[in-house]
Amino acid sequence: MAEPVITLRHFFERARAGQLTGVRCRKCGELAIPPKELCPACYERAWEPVPLGGEGTIASYTVIRVAPRAFMADAPYAVAAVKLTEGVSILGRIVDIPLERLAVGLPVRFRPIVRNSQTAIGFGPA
Amino acid sequence: MRRVALVGAGVSKFGVRKATYRDLVWEAGKACFDSVPGVKPKDLDGLVVGSVMPERTAFQSHISSMVAEALGIRPSALSARTEHMCASGTVGIRYAYAFIAAGLADLVMVLGVEKLNQPVADEAVLNMGTGVDREWEAAFGLTAPPCFAFAAQRHMAEYGTTEEQLAMVGVKNHTHAAKNPSAHFTKGATLDQVLGSRMIASPLRLFMCSPITDGAAAVVLASETRARALTDTPVWIRGTGQALDGFQLSSLHEDYAHWPALKRAAQAAYQMAAVGPHEIDLAEVHDCFSIAELIAYEELGFCHKGEAGPFVAEGRSDYGGDVVVNPRGGLIGCGHPLGATGVAQAAEVFVQLRGEAGARQVPAAALALTHNNSGMGEHVVMIYGKEPA
Repeated sequence: MAEPVITLRHFFERARAGQLTGVRCRKCGELAIPPKELCPACYERAWEPVPLGGEGTIASYTVIRVAPRAFMADAPYAVAAVKLTEGVSILGRIVDIPLERLAVGLPVRFRPIVRNSQTAIGFGPA
Repeated sequence: MRRVALVGAGVSKFGVRKATYRDLVWEAGKACFDSVPGVKPKDLDGLVVGSVMPERTAFQSHISSMVAEALGIRPSALSARTEHMCASGTVGIRYAYAFIAAGLADLVMVLGVEKLNQPVADEAVLNMGTGVDREWEAAFGLTAPPCFAFAAQRHMAEYGTTEEQLAMVGVKNHTHAAKNPSAHFTKGATLDQVLGSRMIASPLRLFMCSPITDGAAAVVLASETRARALTDTPVWIRGTGQALDGFQLSSLHEDYAHWPALKRAAQAAYQMAAVGPHEIDLAEVHDCFSIAELIAYEELGFCHKGEAGPFVAEGRSDYGGDVVVNPRGGLIGCGHPLGATGVAQAAEVFVQLRGEAGARQVPAAALALTHNNSGMGEHVVMIYGKEPA
């Protein structure tokens, strides 16, 4: 099998550089994020990477106060499902927004969280 | 298809147990055999074991063979393990049901078991994280409570559901569990206690969440001929449905307050049973978090979309209401030993529909429903009846 169009590593390399990236199906136009192997709409494997604007609104969120071991020092912290302007959704950590300001529908903007050479998806103020 | 019935059921004590994984298997297996004197281990021709993570928690795989040997069962028609995260138990019941209905087996035990508590307490939290997509979602600290908290925040924003209404599910299920000696929590809880309990992931507080629990449960399923020979009061499987929408949270419909897969699973089960939601006397629903029970009322058709908050507040899901939901105490009161949960739900239906539930008996119970999920987009529904049709 050929190399995927965009692997986990490539996705996060681009994210680290500040670019949120999806994949668009050249056959049917379906947009997906995170990247997938096969198009869920037409089952073809004809992806091309597309840069996303990184803007969206909070579809839902929560403030985590009891966290897994690796994240205990961060608590309380917020995570959100964000509906991007392009219509697809992705989860991420909330940064630089006061926890009491969080609400369904709040505009946010993608920003990478880099720590210990690891990159994670984050969203900050729009 | 042949008719299939439950003829026996038993559960272990649920809680933070000193018992080993195998001890829990023995405890539930013995309780189940004790409930049906006509069935000895050698009489069974099949065994299905629902268990999620013994590889991590008991350093044991090869589970169905281990359980068969522990209980003295010599399967001749069916031996399997089911792993479907929190719905593993009910998925196992569906396997056994299908084999018997098809004539491929006659008498099958389904046993669910999980030993979740570990010497290092937060190991259990880490292990539970294996149920969330590792690369894309667990990797930034997402566990089960935040996923369901997303649903709660949406439901509150769209329908005005309140923290008090979320808490009332906790009060009801803790109160029910106080009448269930095998439950993890048996002290009950007041509204003040639930609302004053520690915040886990907003708006879900500790007493609105199912705890980390060890436990096991077992049921025996039989073909109609065997069932009628074994007992005067079999409990019949009338309908079943399962539907999945997605694994990654971000693949789901972004409106987490709507669970279309549960609606489809329920519709399939109702259609097969030829009954409607308003005929159900009691329901064991998957209240892993209080919001899950509220959304289940709506998607199962017990009330209209958006009306689950008032439904619980008005007592319509309690004794004397429209349908008694979670009479054994649910996952919030009994605990949630993953693979055991769906089987324990069936065990509760077994005693309820036979009128043997004692202090928590639902009066004149004739039709019951169970709902088991493994995430907001993955649901299994079963319908059981006192009568075969």
